[in-house]
Amino acid sequence: MAETKEFEDKAKKVFSAERKEDIWVLILSAITVILGLTGVITPKTFSSLFF
Amino acid sequence: MTDTNSGIVKYIPGLILCIILGWLALQWDQSIHKWQKNFQESEKILKANIKDGKPFLPFAEYISKSDEKYKEKLAAFERGEIKEKPKKPHTIKENDYETIAKTKEIPFNFRFGERMIQFQLTYVAVLLLGGMLIRNTIGLPKVFQPGAVLARPIIKPGIILLGGYYLWSNLLKVGVFALLLVLVFILGTTVLVAVLGRRMKQDDGLMGVMAAGAGICGVSAAVAVAPVVNAKPRDFFYAVGTILLFGTVALFTFPYIGKALGMSEPVFGAWVGTAILNTAQLVAAATWYGHDSLLTANIINIVRVGFIPIVVIFCIWFYVIKKATTEGKDQKINTWQVIKDKFPLFILGFFAMVTLNEFGVFTEEHRTIFGKQFLQIFFAVGFAGVGLNIAFDDLKKAGGKAFVIGFIAATLKAVLSAIVVMMIGTDAFKVK
Repeated sequence: MAETKEFEDKAKKVFSAERKEDIWVLILSAITVILGLTGVITPKTFSSLFF
Repeated sequence: MTDTNSGIVKYIPGLILCIILGWLALQWDQSIHKWQKNFQESEKILKANIKDGKPFLPFAEYISKSDEKYKEKLAAFERGEIKEKPKKPHTIKENDYETIAKTKEIPFNFRFGERMIQFQLTYVAVLLLGGMLIRNTIGLPKVFQPGAVLARPIIKPGIILLGGYYLWSNLLKVGVFALLLVLVFILGTTVLVAVLGRRMKQDDGLMGVMAAGAGICGVSAAVAVAPVVNAKPRDFFYAVGTILLFGTVALFTFPYIGKALGMSEPVFGAWVGTAILNTAQLVAAATWYGHDSLLTANIINIVRVGFIPIVVIFCIWFYVIKKATTEGKDQKINTWQVIKDKFPLFILGFFAMVTLNEFGVFTEEHRTIFGKQFLQIFFAVGFAGVGLNIAFDDLKKAGGKAFVIGFIAATLKAVLSAIVVMMIGTDAFKVK
Protein backbone atom coordinates (compact mmCIF):
# COMPACT_ATOMS: atom_id res chain seq x y z
CA MET A 1 0.00 0.00 0.00
CA ALA A 2 2.81 2.38 0.95
CA GLU A 3 4.57 1.42 -2.26
CA THR A 4 1.46 2.30 -4.31
CA LYS A 5 1.01 5.65 -2.53
CA GLU A 6 4.64 6.51 -3.10
CA PHE A 7 4.31 5.61 -6.76
CA GLU A 8 1.09 7.59 -7.12
CA ASP A 9 2.87 10.67 -5.77
CA LYS A 10 5.74 10.06 -8.16
CA ALA A 11 3.38 9.74 -11.14
CA LYS A 12 1.65 13.00 -10.13
CA LYS A 13 5.04 14.72 -9.91
CA VAL A 14 6.04 13.40 -13.34
CA PHE A 15 2.79 14.70 -14.78
CA SER A 16 3.17 18.14 -13.26
CA ALA A 17 6.73 18.12 -14.70
CA GLU A 18 5.20 17.39 -18.13
CA ARG A 19 2.92 20.42 -17.67
CA LYS A 20 5.92 22.63 -16.83
CA GLU A 21 7.79 21.11 -19.75
CA ASP A 22 4.94 22.10 -22.11
CA ILE A 23 5.08 25.69 -20.83
CA TRP A 24 8.85 25.85 -21.46
CA VAL A 25 8.31 24.36 -24.90
CA LEU A 26 5.75 27.09 -25.70
CA ILE A 27 8.12 29.81 -24.47
CA LEU A 28 11.02 28.42 -26.56
CA SER A 29 8.83 28.28 -29.67
CA ALA A 30 7.52 31.82 -29.10
CA ILE A 31 11.09 33.16 -28.76
CA THR A 32 12.12 31.43 -32.02
CA VAL A 33 9.09 32.86 -33.87
CA ILE A 34 9.70 36.39 -32.55
CA LEU A 35 13.39 36.22 -33.53
CA GLY A 36 12.42 34.97 -36.99
CA LEU A 37 9.73 37.60 -37.57
CA THR A 38 11.96 40.45 -36.41
CA GLY A 39 14.75 39.30 -38.72
CA VAL A 40 17.26 38.44 -35.97
CA ILE A 41 17.44 34.93 -37.38
CA THR A 42 17.50 34.56 -41.16
CA PRO A 43 17.90 31.56 -43.49
CA LYS A 44 21.66 32.24 -43.40
CA THR A 45 21.81 31.78 -39.61
CA PHE A 46 21.36 28.02 -39.95
CA SER A 47 24.00 27.52 -42.63
CA SER A 48 26.46 29.68 -40.66
CA LEU A 49 26.38 27.09 -37.88
CA PHE A 50 28.05 24.47 -40.09
CA PHE A 51 31.24 24.15 -42.13
CA MET B 1 18.02 27.73 -3.07
CA THR B 2 20.88 25.23 -3.22
CA ASP B 3 18.34 22.53 -4.00
CA THR B 4 16.89 24.49 -6.91
CA ASN B 5 20.34 25.22 -8.28
CA SER B 6 21.53 21.63 -8.03
CA GLY B 7 18.17 20.68 -9.62
CA ILE B 8 18.95 22.77 -12.68
CA VAL B 9 22.68 22.06 -12.73
CA LYS B 10 22.17 18.30 -12.91
CA TYR B 11 20.54 18.67 -16.34
CA ILE B 12 23.36 20.73 -17.90
CA PRO B 13 25.96 18.01 -18.76
CA GLY B 14 23.43 15.74 -20.50
CA LEU B 15 21.84 18.65 -22.31
CA ILE B 16 25.24 19.87 -23.56
CA LEU B 17 26.06 16.32 -24.69
CA CYS B 18 22.80 16.16 -26.68
CA ILE B 19 23.48 19.59 -28.24
CA ILE B 20 26.99 18.47 -29.28
CA LEU B 21 25.73 15.15 -30.69
CA GLY B 22 22.91 17.00 -32.44
CA TRP B 23 25.34 19.46 -34.01
CA LEU B 24 27.69 16.68 -35.16
CA ALA B 25 24.79 14.78 -36.73
CA LEU B 26 23.51 17.91 -38.50
CA GLN B 27 27.04 18.63 -39.74
CA TRP B 28 27.12 15.06 -41.12
CA ASP B 29 23.68 15.60 -42.68
CA GLN B 30 24.71 18.88 -44.31
CA SER B 31 27.87 17.25 -45.71
CA ILE B 32 26.20 14.18 -47.20
CA HIS B 33 23.45 16.28 -48.75
CA LYS B 34 26.05 18.64 -50.26
CA TRP B 35 28.04 15.66 -51.60
CA GLN B 36 24.88 14.12 -53.01
CA LYS B 37 24.08 17.37 -54.87
CA ASN B 38 27.68 17.43 -56.13
CA PHE B 39 27.29 13.81 -57.23
CA GLN B 40 24.21 14.64 -59.30
CA GLU B 41 25.92 17.69 -60.80
CA SER B 42 29.07 15.66 -61.55
CA GLU B 43 26.97 13.07 -63.38
CA LYS B 44 25.51 15.83 -65.56
CA ILE B 45 28.97 17.28 -66.25
CA LEU B 46 30.38 13.89 -67.22
CA LYS B 47 27.40 13.11 -69.46
CA ALA B 48 27.61 16.45 -71.24
CA ASN B 49 31.36 16.35 -71.80
CA ILE B 50 32.07 12.68 -72.46
CA LYS B 51 29.16 12.41 -74.94
CA ASP B 52 30.81 14.83 -77.40
CA GLY B 53 34.25 13.33 -76.99
CA LYS B 54 35.62 16.87 -76.99
CA PRO B 55 37.96 18.22 -74.29
CA PHE B 56 36.24 19.40 -71.09
CA LEU B 57 34.91 22.96 -71.06
CA PRO B 58 37.05 25.33 -68.99
CA PHE B 59 35.63 25.95 -65.50
CA ALA B 60 34.75 29.60 -66.25
CA GLU B 61 32.72 28.53 -69.27
CA TYR B 62 30.90 25.86 -67.20
CA ILE B 63 29.89 28.54 -64.68
CA SER B 64 28.80 31.07 -67.29
CA LYS B 65 26.72 28.44 -69.16
CA SER B 66 25.02 27.53 -65.90
CA ASP B 67 24.31 31.23 -65.21
CA GLU B 68 22.89 31.71 -68.69
CA LYS B 69 20.49 28.80 -68.26
CA TYR B 70 19.33 30.23 -64.92
CA LYS B 71 18.75 33.68 -66.42
CA GLU B 72 16.73 32.14 -69.25
CA LYS B 73 14.53 30.27 -66.76
CA LEU B 74 14.13 33.40 -64.63
CA ALA B 75 13.04 35.40 -67.67
CA ALA B 76 10.53 32.66 -68.55
CA PHE B 77 9.20 32.84 -64.97
CA GLU B 78 8.86 36.61 -65.20
CA ARG B 79 6.95 36.22 -68.47
CA GLY B 80 4.62 33.82 -66.68
CA GLU B 81 5.66 30.79 -68.75
CA ILE B 82 6.85 28.92 -65.65
CA LYS B 83 4.78 28.78 -62.45
CA GLU B 84 7.56 28.22 -59.90
CA LYS B 85 10.44 30.64 -59.45
CA PRO B 86 13.62 28.79 -60.52
CA LYS B 87 16.24 28.14 -57.87
CA LYS B 88 19.86 29.19 -58.41
CA PRO B 89 21.63 26.25 -60.07
CA HIS B 90 23.99 24.13 -58.00
CA THR B 91 27.55 24.24 -59.28
CA ILE B 92 30.62 22.40 -58.02
CA LYS B 93 33.88 24.01 -56.92
CA GLU B 94 36.76 24.65 -59.34
CA ASN B 95 39.14 22.06 -57.87
CA ASP B 96 36.42 19.37 -57.94
CA TYR B 97 35.64 20.29 -61.54
CA GLU B 98 39.32 20.00 -62.47
CA THR B 99 39.55 16.58 -60.76
CA ILE B 100 36.53 15.31 -62.70
CA ALA B 101 37.96 16.67 -65.95
CA LYS B 102 41.29 14.96 -65.26
CA THR B 103 40.09 11.57 -63.97
CA LYS B 104 36.72 11.41 -65.80
CA GLU B 105 35.37 9.96 -62.57
CA ILE B 106 33.11 11.19 -59.79
CA PRO B 107 35.16 11.90 -56.62
CA PHE B 108 34.83 9.40 -53.76
CA ASN B 109 33.18 11.77 -51.25
CA PHE B 110 30.41 12.63 -53.74
CA ARG B 111 29.72 8.92 -54.33
CA PHE B 112 29.82 8.36 -50.56
CA GLY B 113 27.22 11.10 -49.98
CA GLU B 114 24.93 9.62 -52.65
CA ARG B 115 25.22 6.15 -51.07
CA MET B 116 24.50 7.44 -47.54
CA ILE B 117 21.33 9.19 -48.74
CA GLN B 118 20.28 6.00 -50.55
CA PHE B 119 20.58 4.11 -47.26
CA GLN B 120 18.69 6.95 -45.50
CA LEU B 121 21.58 7.44 -43.09
CA THR B 122 20.59 11.04 -42.40
CA TYR B 123 20.92 12.85 -39.06
CA VAL B 124 17.86 11.03 -37.72
CA ALA B 125 19.38 7.56 -38.21
CA VAL B 126 22.83 8.67 -37.02
CA LEU B 127 21.43 10.09 -33.77
CA LEU B 128 19.09 7.21 -33.00
CA LEU B 129 21.51 4.41 -33.90
CA GLY B 130 24.54 6.26 -32.49
CA GLY B 131 22.76 7.14 -29.24
CA MET B 132 21.52 3.59 -28.79
CA LEU B 133 24.99 2.23 -29.50
CA ILE B 134 26.60 4.56 -26.94
CA ARG B 135 23.97 3.76 -24.28
CA ASN B 136 24.27 -0.01 -24.71
CA THR B 137 28.02 -0.41 -25.20
CA ILE B 138 30.14 2.11 -23.31
CA GLY B 139 27.06 3.23 -21.33
CA LEU B 140 25.84 6.70 -20.42
CA PRO B 141 27.52 7.97 -17.23
CA LYS B 142 25.04 9.01 -14.53
CA VAL B 143 26.09 12.66 -14.79
CA PHE B 144 24.62 12.83 -18.33
CA GLN B 145 21.40 10.91 -17.67
CA PRO B 146 19.05 13.65 -16.31
CA GLY B 147 19.96 16.02 -19.14
CA ALA B 148 19.55 13.30 -21.78
CA VAL B 149 16.02 12.65 -20.46
CA LEU B 150 15.27 16.39 -20.49
CA ALA B 151 16.48 16.67 -24.12
CA ARG B 152 13.70 14.42 -25.48
CA PRO B 153 10.85 16.98 -25.22
CA ILE B 154 12.95 19.48 -27.20
CA ILE B 155 11.32 17.75 -30.17
CA LYS B 156 8.08 19.55 -29.21
CA PRO B 157 9.12 23.10 -30.27
CA GLY B 158 9.89 21.53 -33.67
CA ILE B 159 6.35 20.11 -33.79
CA ILE B 160 4.94 23.55 -32.92
CA LEU B 161 7.08 25.39 -35.50
CA LEU B 162 5.98 22.96 -38.19
CA GLY B 163 2.51 24.49 -37.70
CA GLY B 164 3.69 27.37 -39.93
CA TYR B 165 3.41 25.02 -42.92
CA TYR B 166 -0.33 24.37 -42.58
CA LEU B 167 -3.50 26.24 -43.39
CA TRP B 168 -6.67 25.43 -41.46
CA SER B 169 -8.13 23.97 -44.66
CA ASN B 170 -5.23 21.43 -44.91
CA LEU B 171 -5.55 20.66 -41.25
CA LEU B 172 -9.28 20.03 -41.46
CA LYS B 173 -8.96 17.95 -44.65
CA VAL B 174 -6.34 15.59 -43.18
CA GLY B 175 -7.76 16.07 -39.68
CA VAL B 176 -11.05 14.36 -40.61
CA PHE B 177 -9.13 11.21 -41.61
CA ALA B 178 -6.86 11.62 -38.58
CA LEU B 179 -9.91 11.72 -36.33
CA LEU B 180 -11.31 8.57 -37.93
CA LEU B 181 -7.97 6.75 -37.56
CA VAL B 182 -7.64 7.88 -33.92
CA LEU B 183 -11.20 6.84 -33.09
CA VAL B 184 -10.99 3.45 -34.78
CA PHE B 185 -7.44 2.33 -34.09
CA ILE B 186 -6.25 4.19 -31.05
CA LEU B 187 -9.36 4.08 -28.92
CA GLY B 188 -10.02 0.59 -30.37
CA THR B 189 -6.63 -0.64 -29.10
CA THR B 190 -7.28 0.89 -25.66
CA VAL B 191 -10.62 -0.91 -25.39
CA LEU B 192 -9.17 -4.17 -26.83
CA VAL B 193 -6.31 -4.26 -24.28
CA ALA B 194 -8.67 -3.43 -21.41
CA VAL B 195 -11.19 -6.14 -22.37
CA LEU B 196 -8.50 -8.77 -23.16
CA GLY B 197 -6.80 -8.01 -19.84
CA ARG B 198 -10.07 -8.60 -17.94
CA ARG B 199 -10.75 -11.83 -19.86
CA MET B 200 -7.21 -13.10 -19.14
CA LYS B 201 -7.66 -12.09 -15.48
CA GLN B 202 -4.74 -9.69 -15.50
CA ASP B 203 -4.22 -7.08 -12.80
CA ASP B 204 -6.29 -3.88 -13.37
CA GLY B 205 -3.38 -1.57 -12.56
CA LEU B 206 -1.11 -3.22 -15.11
CA MET B 207 -3.73 -3.46 -17.85
CA GLY B 208 -4.87 0.14 -17.24
CA VAL B 209 -1.44 1.59 -17.97
CA MET B 210 -0.92 -0.89 -20.81
CA ALA B 211 -4.29 0.03 -22.38
CA ALA B 212 -3.51 3.75 -22.27
CA GLY B 213 0.10 3.30 -23.39
CA ALA B 214 -0.54 0.81 -26.20
CA GLY B 215 -3.54 2.76 -27.42
CA ILE B 216 -2.62 6.37 -27.48
CA CYS B 217 0.58 8.00 -26.58
CA GLY B 218 3.12 5.73 -24.99
CA VAL B 219 4.70 6.85 -21.79
CA SER B 220 2.77 10.16 -21.38
CA ALA B 221 -0.60 8.38 -21.37
CA ALA B 222 0.72 5.63 -19.08
CA VAL B 223 1.88 8.32 -16.62
CA ALA B 224 -1.48 10.10 -16.83
CA VAL B 225 -3.46 6.93 -16.21
CA ALA B 226 -1.21 5.29 -13.57
CA PRO B 227 -2.63 7.10 -10.49
CA VAL B 228 -6.21 6.58 -11.70
CA VAL B 229 -5.91 2.79 -11.91
CA ASN B 230 -3.68 2.48 -8.81
CA ALA B 231 -0.83 1.01 -10.84
CA LYS B 232 2.15 -0.35 -8.92
CA PRO B 233 5.72 0.56 -9.96
CA ARG B 234 6.18 -2.96 -11.37
CA ASP B 235 3.03 -2.53 -13.55
CA PHE B 236 4.23 0.80 -14.81
CA PHE B 237 7.65 -0.52 -15.84
CA TYR B 238 6.15 -3.62 -17.51
CA ALA B 239 3.88 -1.39 -19.56
CA VAL B 240 6.55 1.19 -20.38
CA GLY B 241 9.00 -1.63 -21.28
CA THR B 242 6.47 -3.10 -23.73
CA ILE B 243 5.68 0.31 -25.25
CA LEU B 244 9.36 1.18 -25.66
CA LEU B 245 10.23 -2.22 -27.12
CA PHE B 246 7.45 -1.99 -29.70
CA GLY B 247 8.36 1.62 -30.50
CA THR B 248 12.05 0.79 -30.94
CA VAL B 249 11.33 -2.14 -33.28
CA ALA B 250 8.84 0.00 -35.22
CA LEU B 251 11.16 3.00 -35.45
CA PHE B 252 13.94 1.03 -37.12
CA THR B 253 11.79 -1.22 -39.32
CA PHE B 254 8.78 0.85 -40.43
CA PRO B 255 10.71 3.19 -42.79
CA TYR B 256 12.06 0.14 -44.64
CA ILE B 257 8.66 -1.63 -44.60
CA GLY B 258 7.09 1.58 -45.94
CA LYS B 259 9.61 1.69 -48.80
CA ALA B 260 9.12 -2.02 -49.53
CA LEU B 261 5.33 -1.55 -49.69
CA GLY B 262 5.78 1.48 -51.95
CA MET B 263 4.07 3.85 -49.50
CA SER B 264 4.09 7.51 -50.53
CA GLU B 265 5.34 10.01 -47.94
CA PRO B 266 1.84 11.19 -46.84
CA VAL B 267 0.58 7.59 -46.54
CA PHE B 268 3.62 6.60 -44.50
CA GLY B 269 3.07 9.64 -42.26
CA ALA B 270 -0.53 8.57 -41.66
CA TRP B 271 0.61 5.04 -40.89
CA VAL B 272 3.31 5.89 -38.34
CA GLY B 273 1.06 8.55 -36.82
CA THR B 274 -1.46 5.81 -36.09
CA ALA B 275 0.77 2.82 -35.39
CA ILE B 276 3.81 4.08 -33.43
CA LEU B 277 2.96 4.64 -29.80
CA ASN B 278 5.34 7.37 -28.77
CA THR B 279 5.53 10.96 -30.07
CA ALA B 280 9.34 11.11 -30.23
CA GLN B 281 9.59 7.76 -32.00
CA LEU B 282 6.87 8.50 -34.55
CA VAL B 283 8.29 11.95 -35.31
CA ALA B 284 11.72 10.34 -35.81
CA ALA B 285 10.36 7.64 -38.15
CA ALA B 286 8.37 10.19 -40.19
CA THR B 287 11.33 12.62 -40.44
CA TRP B 288 13.49 9.72 -41.55
CA TYR B 289 11.03 9.01 -44.41
CA GLY B 290 10.67 12.60 -45.66
CA HIS B 291 9.27 16.09 -45.00
CA ASP B 292 5.81 15.37 -46.48
CA SER B 293 5.58 12.31 -44.29
CA LEU B 294 6.33 14.46 -41.24
CA LEU B 295 3.65 17.01 -42.22
CA THR B 296 0.97 14.29 -42.25
CA ALA B 297 2.24 12.38 -39.19
CA ASN B 298 2.25 15.63 -37.21
CA ILE B 299 -1.49 16.18 -37.75
CA ILE B 300 -2.34 12.61 -36.72
CA ASN B 301 -0.12 13.00 -33.66
CA ILE B 302 -1.73 16.31 -32.64
CA VAL B 303 -5.20 14.76 -32.88
CA ARG B 304 -3.95 11.71 -30.98
CA VAL B 305 -2.34 13.49 -28.03
CA GLY B 306 -5.48 15.64 -27.82
CA PHE B 307 -7.26 12.40 -26.99
CA ILE B 308 -5.20 11.68 -23.85
CA PRO B 309 -7.93 13.13 -21.56
CA ILE B 310 -10.54 10.95 -23.33
CA VAL B 311 -8.44 7.83 -22.68
CA VAL B 312 -8.02 8.81 -19.03
CA ILE B 313 -11.81 9.29 -18.75
CA PHE B 314 -12.34 5.85 -20.34
CA CYS B 315 -9.88 4.27 -17.88
CA ILE B 316 -11.60 5.95 -14.91
CA TRP B 317 -14.93 4.67 -16.17
CA PHE B 318 -13.67 1.13 -16.97
CA TYR B 319 -11.48 0.55 -13.92
CA VAL B 320 -13.09 2.70 -11.23
CA ILE B 321 -16.73 3.67 -11.93
CA LYS B 322 -17.86 0.46 -13.68
CA LYS B 323 -16.18 -1.63 -10.99
CA ALA B 324 -17.71 0.45 -8.19
CA THR B 325 -21.17 0.23 -9.79
CA THR B 326 -20.98 -3.59 -9.95
CA GLU B 327 -20.00 -3.56 -6.28
CA GLY B 328 -23.05 -1.38 -5.53
CA LYS B 329 -21.01 1.75 -4.70
CA ASP B 330 -21.57 5.24 -6.10
CA GLN B 331 -18.62 6.87 -7.92
CA LYS B 332 -18.69 10.05 -10.01
CA ILE B 333 -16.25 11.54 -12.51
CA ASN B 334 -15.41 15.23 -12.88
CA THR B 335 -14.96 15.25 -16.67
CA TRP B 336 -13.98 18.93 -16.96
CA GLN B 337 -11.33 18.56 -14.25
CA VAL B 338 -9.79 15.55 -16.05
CA ILE B 339 -9.70 17.41 -19.38
CA LYS B 340 -8.17 20.48 -17.71
CA ASP B 341 -5.53 18.40 -15.88
CA LYS B 342 -4.54 16.06 -18.68
CA PHE B 343 -4.75 18.24 -21.81
CA PRO B 344 -1.32 18.55 -23.49
CA LEU B 345 -0.75 22.32 -23.59
CA PHE B 346 1.92 22.34 -26.28
CA ILE B 347 -0.59 21.59 -29.05
CA LEU B 348 -2.08 25.06 -28.46
CA GLY B 349 1.24 26.45 -29.77
CA PHE B 350 0.83 24.37 -32.93
CA PHE B 351 -2.68 25.75 -33.50
CA ALA B 352 -1.38 29.30 -32.90
CA MET B 353 1.24 28.76 -35.66
CA VAL B 354 -1.43 27.46 -38.09
CA THR B 355 -3.59 30.53 -37.34
CA LEU B 356 -0.67 32.95 -37.88
CA ASN B 357 0.05 31.24 -41.21
CA GLU B 358 -3.63 31.47 -42.17
CA PHE B 359 -3.45 35.27 -41.61
CA GLY B 360 -0.40 35.47 -43.90
CA VAL B 361 2.07 36.41 -41.18
CA PHE B 362 4.73 34.00 -42.49
CA THR B 363 6.63 34.34 -45.77
CA GLU B 364 8.26 31.39 -47.56
CA GLU B 365 11.52 32.45 -45.88
CA HIS B 366 9.92 32.25 -42.42
CA ARG B 367 8.52 28.82 -43.20
CA THR B 368 12.02 27.63 -44.18
CA ILE B 369 13.54 29.06 -40.99
CA PHE B 370 10.89 27.61 -38.66
CA GLY B 371 9.63 24.46 -40.37
CA LYS B 372 12.91 23.19 -41.82
CA GLN B 373 15.99 24.78 -40.28
CA PHE B 374 15.05 25.33 -36.62
CA LEU B 375 12.90 22.24 -36.71
CA GLN B 376 16.08 20.29 -37.56
CA ILE B 377 17.96 21.90 -34.66
CA PHE B 378 15.22 21.04 -32.13
CA PHE B 379 14.72 17.57 -33.58
CA ALA B 380 18.47 16.86 -33.58
CA VAL B 381 18.81 17.66 -29.86
CA GLY B 382 15.63 15.70 -29.08
CA PHE B 383 16.62 12.66 -31.16
CA ALA B 384 20.00 12.59 -29.41
CA GLY B 385 18.02 12.30 -26.16
CA VAL B 386 15.79 9.58 -27.64
CA GLY B 387 18.78 7.52 -28.86
CA LEU B 388 20.67 7.86 -25.58
CA ASN B 389 17.58 6.71 -23.66
CA ILE B 390 17.03 3.45 -25.56
CA ALA B 391 18.49 1.08 -22.96
CA PHE B 392 18.16 -2.65 -23.59
CA ASP B 393 17.82 -3.14 -19.81
CA ASP B 394 14.60 -1.07 -19.84
CA LEU B 395 13.26 -3.04 -22.80
CA LYS B 396 13.92 -6.30 -20.92
CA LYS B 397 11.45 -5.13 -18.25
CA ALA B 398 8.62 -5.98 -20.63
CA GLY B 399 7.35 -9.43 -19.78
CA GLY B 400 4.61 -11.89 -19.00
CA LYS B 401 1.07 -12.14 -20.36
CA ALA B 402 0.66 -8.37 -20.22
CA PHE B 403 3.57 -8.01 -22.64
CA VAL B 404 1.95 -10.52 -25.00
CA ILE B 405 -1.38 -8.64 -24.86
CA GLY B 406 0.24 -5.22 -25.37
CA PHE B 407 2.52 -6.38 -28.17
CA ILE B 408 -0.24 -8.27 -30.02
CA ALA B 409 -2.60 -5.28 -29.78
CA ALA B 410 0.08 -2.86 -31.04
CA THR B 411 1.11 -5.19 -33.89
CA LEU B 412 -2.52 -5.75 -34.90
CA LYS B 413 -3.05 -2.00 -34.94
CA ALA B 414 0.08 -1.53 -37.11
CA VAL B 415 -0.95 -4.17 -39.67
CA LEU B 416 -4.59 -3.09 -39.93
CA SER B 417 -3.78 0.62 -40.05
CA ALA B 418 -1.20 -0.02 -42.83
CA ILE B 419 -3.90 -1.70 -44.92
CA VAL B 420 -6.44 1.06 -44.23
CA VAL B 421 -4.13 4.03 -44.92
CA MET B 422 -2.92 2.43 -48.17
CA MET B 423 -6.53 1.91 -49.23
CA ILE B 424 -7.45 5.52 -48.39
CA GLY B 425 -4.49 6.70 -50.49
CA THR B 426 -2.10 9.61 -50.89
CA ASP B 427 -4.58 12.34 -51.87
CA ALA B 428 -6.48 12.16 -48.59
CA PHE B 429 -3.32 12.52 -46.50
CA LYS B 430 -1.38 15.00 -48.63
CA VAL B 431 -1.04 18.31 -46.80
CA LYS B 432 -0.35 20.57 -49.80
